[in-house]
Amino acid sequence: MRRTLILVSLASLPGFASAVDFAHEVVPVLRKHCGECHTGDKKKGGFSMNTRAAFLEGGENGAVLVPGSADRSKLLEVVTTEDADLRMPPKGERLSPAEVSVLRAWVAAGAAWTEGFAFKQPAYEAPLRPRRPELPPVQGGRAHPIDRVLDAWTSARRMPSPAPASDAAFLRRAHLDLIGLLPTDAEAAAFAADQRPDKRARLVDSLLARDIDYADHWMVFWNDLLRNDYAGTGYIDGGRKQISVWLYESLLSNKPYDQFTRELVAPSAASEGFAKGIVWRGAVSAGQVPELQFSQSVSQTFLGINMKCASCHDSFVDRWKLRDAYGLAAIFADRKMELVRCDIPTGKPAAAAWPYPELGQVDGSKPRAERLAQLAALVTHPENGRFQRTIVNRLWHRLMGRGIVHPTDAMDTPPWNADLLDVLANRLVETKYDLKATLRFIATSAAYQARAEILERGADDKAYAYRGPRAKRLTAEQFVDAVWRLTGTTPAKIEPQVPRVAPRAPSAENSGPEALLARPVWSDDLAGGRVPAVGEARAFRRQVKLAAEVESAHCVVTCDNAFVLYVNGRKIGEGSDWEDPQSYDLAEFLVKGANQITVVGRNLGDAPNPAGLYFQMNVRLKGGERLKVGTDAAWEWSASAPDARGVVAAKGKPAPVWKPVALLTGDPWRRAEARMAEMLAAGGTRALPARAGLVKSDLLQRSLGRPNREQIVSMRPNELSTLEAMDLANGQAMAGLLTAGAARLKQRAWASPEALARWLYLSALSREPAAKELAVAVGLLGPDLSEQGIADLLWAVCMLPEFQTIR
Amino acid sequence: MSLPSSFDPSWPEPLARREFLRQLALAGAATLSMGAPRLLADEKPAAPAATADACILIWLAGGMAAPETFDPKRYAPYEKGMSYERVLSTFPAIPTSVDGVRICQGLESIAQVMDRGTLIRSAVQPDLGSILHSRHQFHWHTGYVPPQTVACPHIGAWMARVLGPRNPVMPAFINIGQRLEGIGESEELKSFTTAGFFGGEFGPMNLPFPEEAAAAVRPPKGMDAGRFVNRDRAFRRLVDAGPDRDLLSDHHQQSMLRSMDNAYRLLSAKERAAFDISLEAKEVQQAYDTGRFGRGCLLARRLVENGARFVEVTTEYVPFFQWDTHGKGHETVAKMHAQIDRPIARLIRDLEARGLLDRTLVVIASEFSRDAMIEGRPGSTAKDQSFNKSSIMTSPDHYGLHRHFTGGTSVVMFGGGVKKGHVYGATADERPLVAVKDPVSISDMHATIFRAMGISPKTAYDVEGRPFYATLDGKGVPIPIFG
Repeated sequence: MRRTLILVSLASLPGFASAVDFAHEVVPVLRKHCGECHTGDKKKGGFSMNTRAAFLEGGENGAVLVPGSADRSKLLEVVTTEDADLRMPPKGERLSPAEVSVLRAWVAAGAAWTEGFAFKQPAYEAPLRPRRPELPPVQGGRAHPIDRVLDAWTSARRMPSPAPASDAAFLRRAHLDLIGLLPTDAEAAAFAADQRPDKRARLVDSLLARDIDYADHWMVFWNDLLRNDYAGTGYIDGGRKQISVWLYESLLSNKPYDQFTRELVAPSAASEGFAKGIVWRGAVSAGQVPELQFSQSVSQTFLGINMKCASCHDSFVDRWKLRDAYGLAAIFADRKMELVRCDIPTGKPAAAAWPYPELGQVDGSKPRAERLAQLAALVTHPENGRFQRTIVNRLWHRLMGRGIVHPTDAMDTPPWNADLLDVLANRLVETKYDLKATLRFIATSAAYQARAEILERGADDKAYAYRGPRAKRLTAEQFVDAVWRLTGTTPAKIEPQVPRVAPRAPSAENSGPEALLARPVWSDDLAGGRVPAVGEARAFRRQVKLAAEVESAHCVVTCDNAFVLYVNGRKIGEGSDWEDPQSYDLAEFLVKGANQITVVGRNLGDAPNPAGLYFQMNVRLKGGERLKVGTDAAWEWSASAPDARGVVAAKGKPAPVWKPVALLTGDPWRRAEARMAEMLAAGGTRALPARAGLVKSDLLQRSLGRPNREQIVSMRPNELSTLEAMDLANGQAMAGLLTAGAARLKQRAWASPEALARWLYLSALSREPAAKELAVAVGLLGPDLSEQGIADLLWAVCMLPEFQTIR
Repeated sequence: MSLPSSFDPSWPEPLARREFLRQLALAGAATLSMGAPRLLADEKPAAPAATADACILIWLAGGMAAPETFDPKRYAPYEKGMSYERVLSTFPAIPTSVDGVRICQGLESIAQVMDRGTLIRSAVQPDLGSILHSRHQFHWHTGYVPPQTVACPHIGAWMARVLGPRNPVMPAFINIGQRLEGIGESEELKSFTTAGFFGGEFGPMNLPFPEEAAAAVRPPKGMDAGRFVNRDRAFRRLVDAGPDRDLLSDHHQQSMLRSMDNAYRLLSAKERAAFDISLEAKEVQQAYDTGRFGRGCLLARRLVENGARFVEVTTEYVPFFQWDTHGKGHETVAKMHAQIDRPIARLIRDLEARGLLDRTLVVIASEFSRDAMIEGRPGSTAKDQSFNKSSIMTSPDHYGLHRHFTGGTSVVMFGGGVKKGHVYGATADERPLVAVKDPVSISDMHATIFRAMGISPKTAYDVEGRPFYATLDGKGVPIPIFG
């Protein structure tokens, strides 16, 4: 024992007592035969000899080096064995007997290592805890913390600060970045006319206050990042679950990001779709079972860690190991898991653990719910700077076109400006994880409001140098929203059953001020489980007494499957798609005193099926009194058919029998209920127009890069492909929108072709056309403003790179 | 409507910028995409010498039963009350132009061209524990079993990415006959009908209806050629008239304009005529026209003649239709024979007559085979999905191979340097009809196709900092079927 100790301590003194010179004899041998796979960031078999510590740690198959014992060191075994499966290097030239004896002597003498030597300098180690960099002094009166950091960065490199963007460019950029919509021509004109010095900050505030537009827009980003969608693979077998409603409500209320994350990591039924992942029918590779999907998704989305390699074997490219991937998986698992390497079981059990034990650890002996809650707390731990940096870097990327760490999922790689990243992360924490406040923080900086960088060819191959925000291509959703609005072709229906109503006040228990009071009703002859027959028609009525003249009144109505609505004997309207409720202005049909509302509902289909009617009207009387009338137990039904005026009475026939209605449960009609609540909230006369991000992907959106969300997507391609350009040039979907838009625009009274061209430039590009542009545009429109000319100008403007990018 | 022949050959308007853009386009789209090529120091893929320049994949989606097509076994005609055990094939065998090689009755025209290709009878697939067509199709088309952590490229996208277009105006990857909207499992189909992480530039041009393909390269409906040209001209003038001259040199903007150029180049090139099958002689159209699939074969031939790199043409996957026979198998397969027999044979003869067959690899394949009794492979626990669970047939509807079988199936390859009149591998003569000689995995099948096209199976591209290989782990091995 004593002798060994002495030997080791002597051996670790370089150049002493050892006949082997580490630097001049050992290093060349190792570099020549082993370096390619086991030094630098290469870790074949999970083994690196880049540093002495790494060398001693060994690889997937255990220790490689036992200092002082060549016989127990696998290193000597593998370089000498004749076994083709074990030999190292696996191919090519073997070590010469002389080289082997150098290694043998070196190991036997204690494997001395030159202090601090590494074959390649160790890879960047990203900090975990928050850092609090000191802000550099203010330059040129630019006091925003972001600008202080960036001004110091540019002046240290003798680079100029980017010039400010024009008001027009800023307006368009801020609209598209924050709410995903182009500014309208009116908004563009108003902003141009605004002379207040703080108008840019005011604009940012006003955009972020548009809760519904904000939620509509950021659904796209989060759907990508949480791989949520309204259709897609996995749904076919019930192997996937939407979180759309939870997500939308979270964005609408600007849920603090730490809470948001905790609700995804330790989910409720409404948010569990993210954690559950996508389950395919049949057998699945060990690295893609739901537990490992959880491991990968939590790592990637919240921590910018790529756990995909390590789900199958110790990563060759970064520090993550199989046991790290399984550690997270075991937290989620409700079964005992075993480490499986490349689909071959290892016999080693997986132990619940998360990757940063410095901050605490999950207790694997606790029940699953508790383990997940512990993990959620660790991910959102105040000292987990990694969590904070990951999200602010993503937001920076969305607004500035390039991540501070880039790509944004590679958070183990160095940022180009660590202080900037930490200034943002600290701001997130100071605002209690308020994402809108973080966006505001970025958008109010001079950096965000600067002119876009002009990218040289090959710019991405060089080290990044900050020269202003980078132009971003419109997402498929932004492009389609823009074209819909320019052409007036925005559809009404959205896909997810999300509540597009103003967020409820914290105290209100009800679901918002314009809650749907109406209950679904049908005739009360449903006893004994009778299901309404095909073609069954029922008249429903309610008398409403109004104490004063009507100031305003509107209603929503829908029926599974069809309805005709009458008010005071006048037919108001009809509908035959229960998912598409109709809304009418009733002010001119209602009178002071008694009013008769009659709705005829009809059931359709191939076989008997549930039927239900909803009606609600919101009335305001002169004098200010408000009144709401919805279908409820006070309504009556009759099997007699009404006449053309909705009057159920018959000359020479028995008097109709009216009976109280049956109240139904609304479950099958949730989609319609959400829609009606939204329509009432919107003032009733018109539903909120759809957003491209709230409808199912179609061929056009797909062509323009909307992903199918089987994998997490954090950055979409910035390039327009040839096939996309073809779809835009001659595809029927785009052509149809333009043709419809031209027909609508033709109907408007334009003072001149110039007026239309100027409207289009202002609406699409947020600026007036230059004289040359106006001349080309007017030439295309022709003197008599043909529909063809309008369609062609719409197309030409929508194809401009200026239109297709945010810059 | 097509563009008038008298029309200005210099269109689109030659702007100073145009020549510059054209040169950029020649530099290739490679720099646009994600996924940089990766050369691993110890595995530099030695690209094999290509024996084919173009590839047509004839995809008989839904599970083409080998014993009903290219690998006939013991035949027993239908008798009421007969046991499934008696039935291996529901069609008798017929001779082919290769001595000793027989295929199924109903494929008489294909039988006459079998001496032009290699018949592989030992392709195998995993049963994945449960049969879901789109999942097996994903596997066949990408070489990877879903789910995967990265978006996997279709085999056609690999060719587009590695080899690029054969003719710069022709899309490198064209997909004929498969609708991707409005049918069952369409989301799953979309998930592999894609360039995946390579990015959209290498994705498929989808032409679900061959007779409407011409419209895909024409101005939109209702727009005449003059207007189409005029509109593009105005667009280019607006680009040039824009106030921000600096941005004209922006790389991002340039690449956008280049894509517009590429698109318009095809829309104005003579090659667009290749998309219009109505330009063929009536006799030829009739020879191919057994339906959408037959017309697709004609379109595929025209596209390859004009420089397409990879064309897939399919009988189309729609759950429970076409080759996806869960009942009435015999009757349905007879109809499928009629759909594919003439057009495939004619395609081979036409390519040969034009001197193209030697450098065009035609592959006929399906995601797996079928069997009257076994679901998946022998011993599998995959759930039985046949409509008739009884062991005897009580109706002609029960006569057919209604279970999905992954233990052995046929793939036919013509042209492109493969041996002629050759048979590779074999399945057992009695149930289970598993591959008993030279089984060929999907990885090896892909390696073989890639080998013909001059692509190493070890070819890898970087995604998220790690290599992604053309065949699983770079380990696919071509089978020895080259002449």
